[in-house]
Amino acid sequence: MVMADEHSARSSIHVLPLNILKDHSRTSSKDSKHSRNMSSKGSNRTGASANSQSQITPPATPNGSQEDLNQQMEPLQPVFHNFLRAFYPFHPTYAVADSTVTLPLNEGDVILVHSIHTNGWADGTLLASGARGWLPTNYCEAYDPESMRNLLKALLNFWDLLKSGLATDNEVFGNQEFMRGIIAGVRYLLEKSNSLTRESPIVQGNDGLRRNRKALLSDLSSLVKTAKRLQEYTARPPQTETEPDDVNNTVDEMILKAFKIVIRGVRFLDVWEDDCRSRQPYNRVMATVAEEVYNPPTPPADSTSFDGSQHGDPAYDAVSRRSSRSSATGLSGSQPSDEQTKRQSYKRMSSAYSSNATTSRPLSMTRPASIHMKRQSVSHRLSLTASIPAAQRENLVSEKLNSSHDTFLSFLGSFIGRLHLQSQSAAELLFSVKQSVTAGRQMLVVVEAICAHDRQSGEALEASRAAMYDRINKLAVSAREVINSSAIEGDDVVMPQQNSGLLTAATSCVKAAGECVAKTKFVIERIGDFEFEPQSDNLGTHAPAIDAIVEDQSGETKALESTDEVKPVSPSPPDIPPEPASRPPPPPLIIPTYEKPLPEVPTSSTSPDEEESQSHLLPVNTKAMQENEMVESATTDSSMGSSRRSLLPPLPNMTGPLMTSGDYSPSEISSAHDSDFQSSFRSGSIAISSTGTSSTYLSGLRDSESSILSQASTRATTPDLSQYVPRTQPSISELSLSGSQSTLADEIDEGESKMLEKTFAHELLHKDGQITGGTLPALVERLTTHDSTPDSMFVSTFYLTFRLFVTPVDLAKALVDRFDYVAESPHIAGPVRLRVYNVFKGWLESHWRDLSDNEALSVIEPFATEKLSKVLPGAGKRVLELAQKVTSTDGPLVPRLVSSMGKTSTSLAQYVPADTPLPPSYMSKSQISVLKNWKMGGSNPTILDFDPLELARQLTIKEMNIFCSIMPEELLGSEWTKRSGSNAVNVRAMSTLSTDLSNLVADTILQYDDAKKRATIIKHWIKIAHKCLELNNYDSLMAIICSLNSSTIVRLKRTWDMVSQKRKDMLKTLQSIVEPDKNYAVLRRRLHDHVPPCLPFVGTYLTDLTFVDAGNPATKQLPGVGDGEGMSVINFDKHTRTAKIIGELQRFQIPYRLHEVPDLQEWLQAQIVRVKSSSEHENVQQYYRKSLLLEPRETSHARTSPIEGQSPFSLNQKEKFDIFGWTHSREKAQSAPTSSI
Amino acid sequence: MIIAPMLTRIVGHRRDFNIVVLGAGGVGKSCLTAQFVQNIWIEAYDPTIEDSYRKQIDVDLSSLDTAGTEQFTAMRELYMKTGQGFLLVFSIISQSSLHELSELREQIIRIKDDENVPIVIVGNKSDLEEDRVISRSKAFSVSQSWGNAPYYETSARRRANVDEVFIDLCRQIIRKDNTTHAQREEDPYAQYRDPGRERHAHRKRKTHRRKREGGCMIL
Repeated sequence: MVMADEHSARSSIHVLPLNILKDHSRTSSKDSKHSRNMSSKGSNRTGASANSQSQITPPATPNGSQEDLNQQMEPLQPVFHNFLRAFYPFHPTYAVADSTVTLPLNEGDVILVHSIHTNGWADGTLLASGARGWLPTNYCEAYDPESMRNLLKALLNFWDLLKSGLATDNEVFGNQEFMRGIIAGVRYLLEKSNSLTRESPIVQGNDGLRRNRKALLSDLSSLVKTAKRLQEYTARPPQTETEPDDVNNTVDEMILKAFKIVIRGVRFLDVWEDDCRSRQPYNRVMATVAEEVYNPPTPPADSTSFDGSQHGDPAYDAVSRRSSRSSATGLSGSQPSDEQTKRQSYKRMSSAYSSNATTSRPLSMTRPASIHMKRQSVSHRLSLTASIPAAQRENLVSEKLNSSHDTFLSFLGSFIGRLHLQSQSAAELLFSVKQSVTAGRQMLVVVEAICAHDRQSGEALEASRAAMYDRINKLAVSAREVINSSAIEGDDVVMPQQNSGLLTAATSCVKAAGECVAKTKFVIERIGDFEFEPQSDNLGTHAPAIDAIVEDQSGETKALESTDEVKPVSPSPPDIPPEPASRPPPPPLIIPTYEKPLPEVPTSSTSPDEEESQSHLLPVNTKAMQENEMVESATTDSSMGSSRRSLLPPLPNMTGPLMTSGDYSPSEISSAHDSDFQSSFRSGSIAISSTGTSSTYLSGLRDSESSILSQASTRATTPDLSQYVPRTQPSISELSLSGSQSTLADEIDEGESKMLEKTFAHELLHKDGQITGGTLPALVERLTTHDSTPDSMFVSTFYLTFRLFVTPVDLAKALVDRFDYVAESPHIAGPVRLRVYNVFKGWLESHWRDLSDNEALSVIEPFATEKLSKVLPGAGKRVLELAQKVTSTDGPLVPRLVSSMGKTSTSLAQYVPADTPLPPSYMSKSQISVLKNWKMGGSNPTILDFDPLELARQLTIKEMNIFCSIMPEELLGSEWTKRSGSNAVNVRAMSTLSTDLSNLVADTILQYDDAKKRATIIKHWIKIAHKCLELNNYDSLMAIICSLNSSTIVRLKRTWDMVSQKRKDMLKTLQSIVEPDKNYAVLRRRLHDHVPPCLPFVGTYLTDLTFVDAGNPATKQLPGVGDGEGMSVINFDKHTRTAKIIGELQRFQIPYRLHEVPDLQEWLQAQIVRVKSSSEHENVQQYYRKSLLLEPRETSHARTSPIEGQSPFSLNQKEKFDIFGWTHSREKAQSAPTSSI
Repeated sequence: MIIAPMLTRIVGHRRDFNIVVLGAGGVGKSCLTAQFVQNIWIEAYDPTIEDSYRKQIDVDLSSLDTAGTEQFTAMRELYMKTGQGFLLVFSIISQSSLHELSELREQIIRIKDDENVPIVIVGNKSDLEEDRVISRSKAFSVSQSWGNAPYYETSARRRANVDEVFIDLCRQIIRKDNTTHAQREEDPYAQYRDPGRERHAHRKRKTHRRKREGGCMIL
């Protein structure tokens, strides 16, 4: 195979660095590393590795990683670890040809592992970027520090939940439950590190720790906000079919945010450990701390890149390689001169600052496109705002950087996401690219400002800025290519397979941005944060200006449409770039470019003026860049205007520091760049206009831009656009908007106190969004959440079943505790206390049970007077009133509706419209008189005297009356099975009546000596049973069928012979319904979703309740932390199941609307009383004897009942066969057609 | 469990058997059944589904448990009819629960019209030794008088002897089933049946039981 050949050829460089020493020194030179690798380890490892490789599909071994193979490595961990941490950087520099994707690692990166292949490669997601791919586990060690454990576990759950495809499940997101694990995890971490409060000495003493802590909490609050938004999405009924996209985007965002939180946690812990190790935790110099903070963990930027000596030459190579590559792939043949220029410009640039250019050693370039493209490597944010007054924070450059980075990443993220879609119009594509580019430029502006602030660091930053610049450029070029090609083919749709170039470009953009930001942050930490006022002016909004643009736009649109097809591919204009000298702050208004490429557009002449008026603050080359980079046609410049105001273009960033540091020639570089960008983008613009996508996306762009950056939305002025704008757009802008908001000072504070609120959330067990277990405090907390209405099923279950797991007194105490401890978190105290009050109120009003609950009043009353009244006077008074009432009243004060778990028989008219007339009763005059006669002491009528339907009705009414009075508490804890003193009176009455009815059936049949008469009675009962079924009275049906099927009746062969086949068939049908086979499968299916009125068979509920009780333990174990046994918590799932069954039963507690015939009821009751005897056993025996008397055994020696208890061996074989014979004859009798009755 | 593979050989193919669990309320029938059907508490036990009481141990075993509906006496017969084998469960800490079994047994025999219907007597709650009111010997003599039905003491809570009870009953049912078939001379399983092996199985069972019962089983 080709693979094998390749292998042998490359085996030497395929060697995995399996034994790298955990040594972080990077002093050895590249050459020595290489040779050492070849000699020392290559020899003994090569064979094995190459060997294993040939068998393995998943990960391609890194192709001779230029990173240092000289060091030794820890042995592989035999245990599966969910999280790994890289202790050595891993940067595969080969381009990946096939579909395998390797993840580059930086020292300190944390990886969520999905699986580990036997060859040592792991499929993992890099938390820093959200990218997924293969990574060498030998570069990593397990990461599972005790204090992070809860957070890591929570992240796993979070990932599983959000990635499980439940994203659209309102149940899950309807409440914020799924967030609590993360929050609890963070809390646990802080608790473990003694930094729960801001005031704790360890936090106070270590600046780095304090800042990390702050950042951690602010990220957490940002995640909480996103989750809230998701809740809002899901709470809304879906409006369009694109809605799920919205949700999915948010979910992705949340995952990234959760990753970020964990990274923060890791970083925090690192600093904390350092702090502990150093044993002199206080009085650190800030700079030192900052470095420490930076050093250990994630940043994707190589820390090595700052000591440029290491890499020496590759800078130039890298740049030229990159440029040649881009010329090969990125540019079409139409612009050879442009390529030329470009290459030159790179050369010039790289030679100009070769030593520093190492940072641009384009990792991103060589990194494969990741599968999960949403690499929003937001992990590099370091909020430095702690010490700065809140009001100013938003203007801080670090905040600007964060928010612009976030924005950039959101746009890119959604762009990349959309690339995976089936197809998209060129317009959409272009629109996304533009958004991304604009956002990227805005970020570069911030970076630029930082460079300008500090020259030294500016130099360090320059390269990564250049890299980012380059990436953005490339993205635009690829976009143009794609669109061009699709335009040539004449369709407006870009197919996914065309997107690979774009994907690579976009991904590298993300990467470059991440590096750039990381470096910038490093610089910020060194030089300190500063305010960024002037730019924020620019970033601000000018609503009138926007309006003007809108007007402008409409005119231009027409123009654009008219010129759609006219545009030629413009040659690259080297003369376009503005003079570098004119670059800095005072901006001369040179608007040179657009007339050249697109002279045909008539309106172009107006736009410069427009711009002049709007953008006087901008450096001129900025403007030029903008014009060039974005869609170049003059028609678009109005949108440019708006974007310029909000999103500053990248070029100033480049030029600022270049100007100030005189070593190299900035003008040359920048101008070269300018021309590059101009040419490439201009041709992009042509493609755009030729594809006929006109103003739609432009205004869409403006729309979302303005919503990102300003409160003054232009939506009102462009109402018709929404339908063209992809649904994801508004959400993204919202997202980034709120993202940047969340960093505002007061929200951080709010977030902090919120995160640190005392909570028992970690003592709660969930499954599928439902609570399955928890300690009492955790459950009580769940009952009184501040941020969401507690789930009604949870609440009703709790009210119904709490006495099974807690005494009323303890519950009252737990509620009071909740009321007390929430005071530590003032921002939620209000709602929580109100909910505590509501729980008490609901309990007293509707769920109070005198017998058990009265002792809780000793807790509730003092609480109401002493605590509740102070906070909520009205509430305190109300609780007191209720507490007094419950002692004097019997039964619930406020009856609940059927659907809830309380008393049920009150809302009768729910299902049956009251105006429906009652069906008339089937009582003839003679029947009435027969009953009258009976009442007067006359002869006893038989059931044959009455209509089967009417009898069925009266039986139903009778049973339903009892059924409706069953209280839920009767069904708890197997109360009804108690031998004595059972409180389940109604359940008992139900089963008694059922048994009595069975006895009545047997009695009425057996009272006749004449088989024919018995058959008539049987037939009548079959009819009654049939009517019961028609009335959905399954309970009576069951009782009658049981009796007809009892051995006492079934054995009456002569009688059954006289029952018509029709009736027997009917009986068979009825029998099959109540058949206990397969756990009453038929009956259960019928009752499922049955509409009341209906009287279900109570027995199945009782059995179910018994088995839920017996089959599920009272407690559950929380997953243990570390090796320890988990905490034992209440198995709430058991109670939920109980409540569900009871709820099912209650669903049917709605009386029939039937006429009660009092006389008939009276007669029925009399019959039932008659058949009642002291002992059931007696009854059964008695009937059986009677049955034997009526139709004696057919065998010769008539055997007495086995009840007599003779020796079991008295029966010989023959007799036994006779018995079987009887069985068969009965079957025959049943199936044989008989003519009778 | 030792016997289980043998069952397969004897049976040759899978058969459906219904076991009915009977006993007074509160003797722990439901625990017994739930434990047996479930083996290990995996997540949670849901009794409302069709297969809640089914378990496959080489044969497909459905158990019908009357737990919760003891008071629906009229329904007993319905249950009993469907069963081929019966677990009569009492609690060693309740005198009356043993008394009630005799009623149930009579009813079973009447309904099945068969003195030799497969029955296993189970004294549950063996973990509550200190509260025991029914001695082993008493229980055993009762089981002897009832057609020599095997007697087991179980603890559903500790999951002691739970499987054994069901498997013993199952074995009885199969043996009876085979005998019936043989006597009807339409035994489709004859080719699978090896009398020697069956005897062997029987012997094995005895030793097995003796071990479990600590010698209180007289054979």
